[in-house]
Amino acid sequence: MGLKNFTFFVLRGFYHLTFISQNFGKNSGVFFKFAVTTKIKLNLYIINVLIGGLLFSFTALFALFAVYAERKVSAFIQDRLGPMETGKWGSLQTFADILKMLQKELIVPHVADKLLFAAAPLVIFLSVYMGFAALPWAEDVAPVSLNIGVFYVFAIISVESLGILMAGWGSNNKYSLLGGLRSVAQVVSYEIPAGIALISSVMIAQSLDLHVIGLRQGVASVEAIKFLGIWDVSKTGGVFAWHIFQAPHLIIAYIIYFIASLAECNRAPFDIPEAESELVAGFHTEYTGLRFAFIFLAEYSMMFLVGMLGVILFLGGWNTPLPNIGSVRLADWTSGIGWGFFWTLSKVLLVVGIQMWMRWTLPRLRMDQLMNLCWKVLTPLAFLCMLVSGLWRLMVM
Amino acid sequence: MAEQVVFYIFSALVLLSAFMVVVLKNQVRAIFLFFVTLFSMAGLFVFTLADFVAITQVVVYVGGVLVLMIFTFLLSNRDILNNPDATRVSAAGIHHLPGMVVAGLFFAVLIAVVLQSNPEQIEWIKNADKSTLKPTDNTIHYLGINLMTRYLVPFEVVSLLLMLALIGAAHLARKERKI
Repeated sequence: MGLKNFTFFVLRGFYHLTFISQNFGKNSGVFFKFAVTTKIKLNLYIINVLIGGLLFSFTALFALFAVYAERKVSAFIQDRLGPMETGKWGSLQTFADILKMLQKELIVPHVADKLLFAAAPLVIFLSVYMGFAALPWAEDVAPVSLNIGVFYVFAIISVESLGILMAGWGSNNKYSLLGGLRSVAQVVSYEIPAGIALISSVMIAQSLDLHVIGLRQGVASVEAIKFLGIWDVSKTGGVFAWHIFQAPHLIIAYIIYFIASLAECNRAPFDIPEAESELVAGFHTEYTGLRFAFIFLAEYSMMFLVGMLGVILFLGGWNTPLPNIGSVRLADWTSGIGWGFFWTLSKVLLVVGIQMWMRWTLPRLRMDQLMNLCWKVLTPLAFLCMLVSGLWRLMVM
Repeated sequence: MAEQVVFYIFSALVLLSAFMVVVLKNQVRAIFLFFVTLFSMAGLFVFTLADFVAITQVVVYVGGVLVLMIFTFLLSNRDILNNPDATRVSAAGIHHLPGMVVAGLFFAVLIAVVLQSNPEQIEWIKNADKSTLKPTDNTIHYLGINLMTRYLVPFEVVSLLLMLALIGAAHLARKERKI
């Protein structure tokens, strides 16, 4: 929507943030108090930088939390305890890890392509980080409301595989290069079912703007929305208004998207790019210290990013799962900016939890099984979903 | 003001990286730089309010660059990539003459066109205030409507062509049937 609208949305989002902080009063942090006192007078560029900084610190914090969660989840699944020594229940383990990592030497292999080797972690991380720019967190709180938001996020995610190939080649190591090539083959293939599944949801929403898509899955919707195409739930909202329940074939589309997104994150059962038992650690074998930290940060941010994209497109975004029942206005009570953040976070964390559960449950797929699943199962099913979406739009809605 | 600064940064990036792609001996780096060129081009498309084209450019060329990359790995060996032979080629050699003539003539044509055109007097530029897109317009809708009405035949022809390519690729990749 151009630069004007961009800044407008940032402003509006920021205004709401300040609004929340006023409501929460004492509990608001230093940042919010600063924002309240200066209000909108703050220079727009400073706000843009602040929003970027907020998103960055969020990804960093999330990665810290997610690494700890992953280790604990894997431990419980395998009937172990996981980290227990550092802090209560090992809760400071990842902080200790990151402290250690920051101090480590940046080792560059003698025969590596120094420039590509150094640039790769940044490319990998930036491509994921840029994706966050278009994702809405609550009603009217989005860094940008692009009218092609879905397409933008989809495009930016695919840049990551470029960085992975860069790392694989730059390391000048057979294992790394093989890992990079595998990753490319996998990401390029799985983009197709993921994209088609996303399109089948977009066809129902009739918009590529993530904010608009989120808006029409709850009580704030302008147009009439129907549960399973029969029951008008525009005033009821709640779980019935989510896309997957507006049109039930989107449940299949979401499952396709979820599987494909696992492949795009290079996570188990699709982790052949880093397959420990075959390729040492794949494309990031040679990385140490801060560079390795960036690759890890990118991996966990990517989990959150694809999870959030799925949540906005299929699972109602920031909208509450509680419906209005008669005079018990559960949906109205649990809607709002603060609640929006809460629901977005809790839904995405649930999805990330399922991603972890998958990783520690399923064995790794072989290359040919991977391609078979993609081209012979997921792609035709995704096309079928798209067809049903078209018919649904024409005949039911 | 800020928009102009960003525009010139993107333009400089496009020109610089394109130049480096041609000059660099290291093919792998050249291909990654080629992606920088295409990405900055996408940035320039945003300034012409063609945001959909910009994103499509990124989607298409990420795949394109990756495939080019793999071809480079397949068709060249590492010794050549790492130690590009320093064969000195003088810029004014006789074998460069045709290329230089063509480039020079093309440049002359461009200069002539720029000098002869009178952009203030062209009809559609005069009326530009009324008929152009605004930054707030939803370009996707225009694109969709135009593709399904005015440009339906070209659209269908392109889709047929792509379909043929897909079927051809699938056929080539099939296992040979045992006789």
